[in-house]
Amino acid sequence: MNDKSGRVSCQGGSEQISGMKALSATSGRYSKRSPLVDVAAFLLVIGVLTWITGTGTSKLGYNWQWYRVPQYLFTYEDGKWLAGPLIDGLMVTFEITGASLVLAFSFGLISALCRLSDSYMARMIARAYLEAIRNTPLLVQLFFIYFVLAPIFDLSRFASAVLALSLFEGAYGSEIFRAGIVSIPKGQWEAAHSLGLSAFDTYRRIILPQALRRILPPLTSQAISLVKDSALVSTIAVYDLTMRGREIISETFLAFEIWFTIAAIYLVVTVSLSIVVSRMERRLGETG
Amino acid sequence: MDTKVPGEEIIVVDNVFKTFPGGVCALSDFSIRVRRKEVLVVIGPSGSGKSTFLRCLNGLEEVDSGSITIDGIPLDENKRNRLEIRKEVGMVFQSFNLFPHLTVLENLNLAQVLVRKKTRRDAAGFSMALLNKVGIPEKANVFPNHLSGGQQQRVAIARALAMMPKVMLFDEATSALDPEMIGEVLAVMKQLAREGMTMVVVTHEMGFAREVSERMVFMEGGRIVEEGPTELFFTDPKEERTRLFLSQVL
Repeated sequence: MNDKSGRVSCQGGSEQISGMKALSATSGRYSKRSPLVDVAAFLLVIGVLTWITGTGTSKLGYNWQWYRVPQYLFTYEDGKWLAGPLIDGLMVTFEITGASLVLAFSFGLISALCRLSDSYMARMIARAYLEAIRNTPLLVQLFFIYFVLAPIFDLSRFASAVLALSLFEGAYGSEIFRAGIVSIPKGQWEAAHSLGLSAFDTYRRIILPQALRRILPPLTSQAISLVKDSALVSTIAVYDLTMRGREIISETFLAFEIWFTIAAIYLVVTVSLSIVVSRMERRLGETG
Repeated sequence: MDTKVPGEEIIVVDNVFKTFPGGVCALSDFSIRVRRKEVLVVIGPSGSGKSTFLRCLNGLEEVDSGSITIDGIPLDENKRNRLEIRKEVGMVFQSFNLFPHLTVLENLNLAQVLVRKKTRRDAAGFSMALLNKVGIPEKANVFPNHLSGGQQQRVAIARALAMMPKVMLFDEATSALDPEMIGEVLAVMKQLAREGMTMVVVTHEMGFAREVSERMVFMEGGRIVEEGPTELFFTDPKEERTRLFLSQVL
C-alpha cells in the first residue's frame, strides 16, 4: 500500500491522473487500514507455523544438530572465508539456471514465432516439440538426453543438464510468448504494416516490446520453476546445490538440517528473483 | 475553393473482387481511378465495403482477383512491391492505433528511421515540424494514452505524414471521437486537402465531404452505386438509392 501511494506522488502532471485511476481501483479495500494490522497478522501466522513445526518435530524424536550445518556453508581458515560445499553447489546451480534461462527464452520465443508463422512445417515442428516436452516427465527427458543423445553429440554432463532444462522450460515459455503476442491488438500490426515496416521490424519494435511487458509475471513464475527444477540435474551427477546436499547427508546423516538449509537457499534465490522482476515491472509500468 | 488541378491517375483499381471467409462479399467487380491531388470521399451504409476498399489499397487485405496499381506499382504477390506501396500510402485508422509503448515523438520517428533510413536527428526534426502542423508540439514527449482522442488522431495523421506519402487513406477517422473533438481532426484533414494531398476518405461527415472533396462515391453491397462530382452528387443524385441514403444522413 505504501509504495502504491508513493508511486502516485512521484509522478507529475498528466501522469498523475492515470496513477490516481490505478490507485483508486485498489485503494478501496486497503486505504483506511493501518499497516500495523498487516504486520500483526504476519507475526501471528509465523507464530502458528513455528508452534506447529516445533511440536511436530519434538514428537519425531529427532536429534537436531544445527550447529554442524554452518561448516558446509562457509569455513574460516588462515584468516580467510572459504565457501563450503553447499555454496559451491549453489554456484553450479546459478550457472545451470543462468545458461538454461537464456536458452529457454530463445527456445520459447522461436517456437512461439513458429507456431504463429504461415508455414505449415514450422507450425507442425513447433507443435510436436511442445507436445513431446509438455507431456513427458522432465526426469525422463533428462535421462534421454544424458544417456542417449549425449554420447552421440559428445555432450558433457553440464551441457546435457542445460539442454534438458531449457528444452523443458522453453516449451512452457513458448505458450506464454504466444499468448502475449496474440494479446496485442490487430490494429498495432496494421499500423506497423501501413507504415511500411517489415515483418521483422514489426515484431522487434512494436509487438514484442508490448508483449514482453504483459507476460513478465508468468515468465517470472517460469523462471522460478526453472530454478527449482534444476535440482533434478543431481540425478545425472551434476554437482549442483541438491547434489552437494545429498552427498553431505550420506556422510553425516543430517538429513533434515541439510534439506531445510537447501530449501531455504532456494527460497532466498527465488524470492530475490521475484523482487528484481517486480521492480522491473514497476519501472516499465511507469513509462507505458 | 482553390485552384489545384488534379493530375494523372495515381490509383488505378480494376475489377476487384473480395470475399471474406464465410461468404460475405465485400467488393464485387469494383473499379475506380483516383487522380493526383484529388480528394475522393466514399460513403455508404455499414458493411457496404468502403473500409475493405481502403484496406485493399495498401495491402492490408488481399484481393481475390482484379488489379490494383498505385503510382505505377502493381500491388501483387511480390512482397517488395507491397512494401514499396505501403511507403507511399499513408493510412489513418478509426481507432488511431498509436504505439502505446512509444512517446509521440518516437511514434513519428519510428518508420522514418526504419523504413526511410533517416538519421534519428533528421527524423526528429521533421517529426517536430509535423507536430507543429497538427498543433500539438508540446506533447512530443508524452505517451499516447495521456492524450485526448482528438490529439491521438492528430498524432496518427502526423505519423502517417512522416513517411511523406503520396496518398493518404482515412478510414472513418472521426467516428471514434467525442463530438467536440471531431472539428480539430477535420481541420487538419482540410488543411492537407488544401495543400494538394491525394486523399481517399471514408467518412460519415457530410459537411466535410461537401466542403473538401472533388468527387463522391456511394457504395452498397461491394459495388459503386453512384459516383460523380461532389456538388452534383449532393444537389442532384441520379440513383434513387443514393437519394434515400442522403436523406437519411443529411
